[in-house]
This record gives sequence, C-alpha cells and structure tokens, in this order.
Amino acid sequence: MQTSEGWSEVAFNNRDPVYLQVVRHFKERIATGHLQAGQIIPSRRELGSLMKINPNTAQKAYKEMEEQQLIITEGNSPSRITDDAKVLEQVRAELLGEAVHAFVASVRKIDVPIEELLQLVKQQFEESGGGA
Amino acid sequence: MIEVADIRKRYLLRQVLKGVSFTAEKGQITCLIGVNGAGKSTVLKAIMGLTPIGGGAIRIDGRPPGPDLYEKVTFVPDHLTMPAGMRLSEALTFMEDFYDSWNKERARDLMQFFSLEHSERIGSLSKGTAAKFNLLLGLGQDSNYILLDEPFSGIDLFSRETITEVFTSDLIDGRGVLLTTHEIGEMEHLIDKAVMLRDGIVTRSFDVEDMRSGEGKSVIDVMREVYRG
Amino acid sequence: MNRYLKLVHMEVHRFRWVLAALMGLTAILQISSLLWIVKRELKLRAEQKLRDLVADSFSVPPPENLTFEWAMYNMQFWFILPILISISVLVVYILLIWYRDWLGRSTFIYRLLMLPSARCQLYWAKITAILLFVFVMISYQLALLSVEHFIFNLAVPADSREESHIVDAIKANPALNTLIPRRFEQFLYSYGLGTLAVLVIFTTLLFERSYRRVGILYGLLYLAGCSLVVFLAISTTTSGLRGYLYPGELFVIIIAVCIAVAIASIWLGLRLIKRKISV
Repeated sequence: MQTSEGWSEVAFNNRDPVYLQVVRHFKERIATGHLQAGQIIPSRRELGSLMKINPNTAQKAYKEMEEQQLIITEGNSPSRITDDAKVLEQVRAELLGEAVHAFVASVRKIDVPIEELLQLVKQQFEESGGGA
Repeated sequence: MIEVADIRKRYLLRQVLKGVSFTAEKGQITCLIGVNGAGKSTVLKAIMGLTPIGGGAIRIDGRPPGPDLYEKVTFVPDHLTMPAGMRLSEALTFMEDFYDSWNKERARDLMQFFSLEHSERIGSLSKGTAAKFNLLLGLGQDSNYILLDEPFSGIDLFSRETITEVFTSDLIDGRGVLLTTHEIGEMEHLIDKAVMLRDGIVTRSFDVEDMRSGEGKSVIDVMREVYRG
Repeated sequence: MNRYLKLVHMEVHRFRWVLAALMGLTAILQISSLLWIVKRELKLRAEQKLRDLVADSFSVPPPENLTFEWAMYNMQFWFILPILISISVLVVYILLIWYRDWLGRSTFIYRLLMLPSARCQLYWAKITAILLFVFVMISYQLALLSVEHFIFNLAVPADSREESHIVDAIKANPALNTLIPRRFEQFLYSYGLGTLAVLVIFTTLLFERSYRRVGILYGLLYLAGCSLVVFLAISTTTSGLRGYLYPGELFVIIIAVCIAVAIASIWLGLRLIKRKISV
C-alpha cells in the first residue's frame, strides 16, 4: 500500500493530545503532497497499528478530521481525503501560518531589522535548494 | 465495565490495599501505574479471585464475579503459568480442553505471528518468547476483558515491539484491557486511562487525552507529581 | 464431569515417570532377589547332594521340595524395601501434589485456579489421583507376584519344586499380608483410614496455602484435632465401652466418627479452595 511508508516514524510528544498530533500529521502530509486530494486513507485499525496508537485514539483523530472536513467517510466505503480545494488550501495556509508564527516568535527575542531578517531568510531558503 | 470498589487487603500486619476504587471500561486500555510493591498485582489477583480480599466489592458488567468469570475475563500474569515440562502444543490443547471461549484459529495465527515453535517446551523458552506465549494464552480466549500484569517488564526490545503491535491491533480492539506497569515508557500513547496507585490507595485516575488537552500534562508529568510531590 | 476426568488424567500424566520408576525398581529388586535366593538354595542343595554321595550316608533325608511360599518367606527384606520406598514416595507426593503447583518458575496454580470449571474438581482430581496411584501400585504388585511365581517355576527344576497357591505366598510375607488384606472388613479399615488421613492432610495443606504462616498453626491444630477424635473413638470403643456394646455396634461408632471427620475435612478443604486460597 502506497500509504504505509512515513506513518510509523512519527515521534509523538507526551504533552499534547495524541489525536491532535495525528490530525496534525495528516495535515503535514497533505501540505507536503504525500496525501493527495481524494486519496483513500488507512482504516482506523490500520492507522492504529501503523502509528502504534490505540484504536480509540485513531477513531478520535478521524472524528476530528471529519469535523474539520479534512476527510470524508461515506457509508461503508473507506475514508478519503477531501476533494475540496478550499479546505486543502486552508490546511496549507494554516501550517504555513503556524510555522511563520513560531519563527517570528523566536526571532522576536533578537533585535533584528525586518529587512535584514528577510534577506537572511531568502538566502537560507535558496541555499537549501529552495522552491520545494 | 470492571468495577473495583473500596477493596482492602492485608498480609499479616501489612495493609497492602487500603480501599482501592476505580473502573476499567470495555473497549478501553486502562493502565494501573505504581512503583513496585504498590499493590498493582494484588489488585489484579483480587479481581481474578486468586487471593481473597478483606473488604470492598468487585463487579464485572454490574454483577459480582460468577462462575463464568474465567471465560469472560482473562488474566496474563507476569510469568508463564504452565508446567515447565509441557510442550507448547500440549499447553494449547490444555486451553482448548478447558475453555469454551478458546479460539483455536486465533491461537494458531498468533503462534505464527509470534513465530513460536509447537514442539518447544515451556521450560526452555527464553524470557521474551515466554512473554509472547503467555500473552498468546490470554489473547487466545474470546474474552470481554483482559488483565495483564507488567506485560513489558524484563523482556528484550524486539519482543516489546512485537507485543506493542498486539495492543494496536484488532486482537485488543473492542475488549477492555487493564494492565499494570511501574514505568509508563512506550505505553504513554497506547493507553486511554491511567490509574495511579500509591501506598495502597488510588491517588489519581484520569483520561490521558483529557489530561493532555486540559492541563497539558503527560502521564509522566502526573506521575512525577504523585510520586515526588 | 468431563473436565474432572481431564484433570485426573493430567495429574496421572504428571506423575507417570515417577510411577514407572517405582514399578521398575520394584520389579528389579524383587525379581533379582528371588533369582538370587533360588540359585543360592539350589547350589547349596547340589553341594549337599554331592557330599551325601561321597559320604555314602543314607541317614540324611532328602530336603523338602521348594515352594514359592518358601521363597516369599525368605526374601522379605528385598521384597519389602521397594514397597516401603513406594509408600514413602506416595506419602511425600500427598504434599507435593499441591505444592508442586506453587513451586518453581511456572506456578501452575494460577492457571488451575482460573479454570472455568468449579474449583472443587481440582480437589477431587487430586484426591482421586492419589488413591489411583495407591491402587495402581497394589494391583501392579499383585500382577508382579504372578510374574514372579512364573519366574520361580522356570528357575527351579520341576523335581525339586512343589506347587503352591499364590494366596499362601501372600500369607507368608507380612508386607503383602498387610497391603492386601483378605478380609473385606480389614480392607475397609486399612484403606478407609488411609483415605481419611489423606483428606485431613489435604485440609491441613489448604489451611497453610490459604493463611500461610498463621495457616500452619490452623492446619496443625486441625490435624491434631482430627487425630485425637479418631484415636479416642478407636480407643474408647475398644476398651471403655467394650462391656456395654456389641462388637458390631463398636464398629459402627468408629465408622461414624471417621465418616464425620472425612466430611468435615472435605467441606473445609472445598471451602478453603473456593474462597480463601491464595496464589
């Protein structure tokens, strides 16, 4: 199954609810293109054993993602990622926003003019092979 | 639901359990946490009727344990409890002979999953293999609840990984699981509910995800509060 | 019922090698001593015959022919030794049949107490197993006796042997005489008292297994109490009340007391194993 790689490497932290960490992992995979719109995702049980979590937690994560309209479950057919481009775009924006927010929060402590900072970011981004 | 209500137990002069109360739901993994000697095993033995209690009550699905207790609830002690001279195949036959709830096909699948050898003798199993077979004897029954005493204690990393896999599989799904441990370690993400036992009483009992979202604390954080504070 | 039989089968299965070893030992010791005695006697007789021939004396009457009964009478020590060993092993096993489940790395008692069949079956299975071992050993001894008789007939030439009944052979050997009483009343007495002793010991053990250190005290008190009651019943009926009651009535009193002790032991034992026992 194409989805089996990349699931078991998730290192959970102990202080955030595990189901939210699972949701976040899904969002990251969507944002990085590992999960495509409309792609079928593992069942709750499969996810449980892939990510070494309890099936109840997997269930809770799926419920959360359904509420956020990230995944769709119709009747007895397997759940899949939404086709809604708006939602997917929102995921990308959300992750990006969070990353930038964290970045800004940590550089805020250092007194640096915004021009210099942007220059540095641009330089680093291009050096590390940018554009990906 | 397994309900333990105010159970007490004394060994001569030492009061081991001073009124322990908690519940373990069906379909959930409940973890009884405590340092060695806190009385975790005694609680499990008391539920299974392997040691008499001095007071309190135990209810399983709302009723006191009856004659069908051992078909509905399985107990996996912290060591293998089959005679050393028995072969694994004989032990399986023994289980099939005595338990109506024994699931032969599942036992066969598990023998394969754990790569266990039918002709081996109980006494010659390594610690990790013995732990796997012990777990197999518990999982082989179609029971509603399964109690495990320190399932991860004293076994090698790979056996631990294999056993962890069992907890995330459909072998456990739908059953109520009550396990004990003195170190939460890799089980942190596996469990639904934590019950902390200290000096014969339950000091904390909580849903681990609620604890994380409500107070931002991991099970280990709470353990620190309980055992250091 | 089915599970009870399976438990009995398991207990027998676990003891099979010991039982086989005891049987082997008994056969080896008894048959070799029988052969040795017979050969020695035949050799002695041959030498005597030779000497008589040389001395040309007709005064000495020819010795009586050998009988199996004679052999039984003359090989008492080596005959009794394996029987005593077997008895000791079985007596020790009355304790071990329980303790072996608690001892060692795998404490089988966890599993046994968690069997869905009623726990009393465990008790019945163990007592059945012990009695079974005793009767198996006795029937084996009887069968072995016939084999020994056959071997004796092979070893001794027909002209110096006389046929004897196996019952006479049993009578000639005090050990066999006690083990295999010919009167039913005697049989009931010996084996009834033996069974009673096993029941009382079982209850004593279960006291210890239930209450551990304090249980030893309870157990020993119970053991002493039962012994006293049975002893008093036997001694007062044979001395004190002898003048007042007929022997038949005395017998009934003793039987009644023994049955009462047996029932009390079984009841207590079952209660302990059901409610108080601890792994």
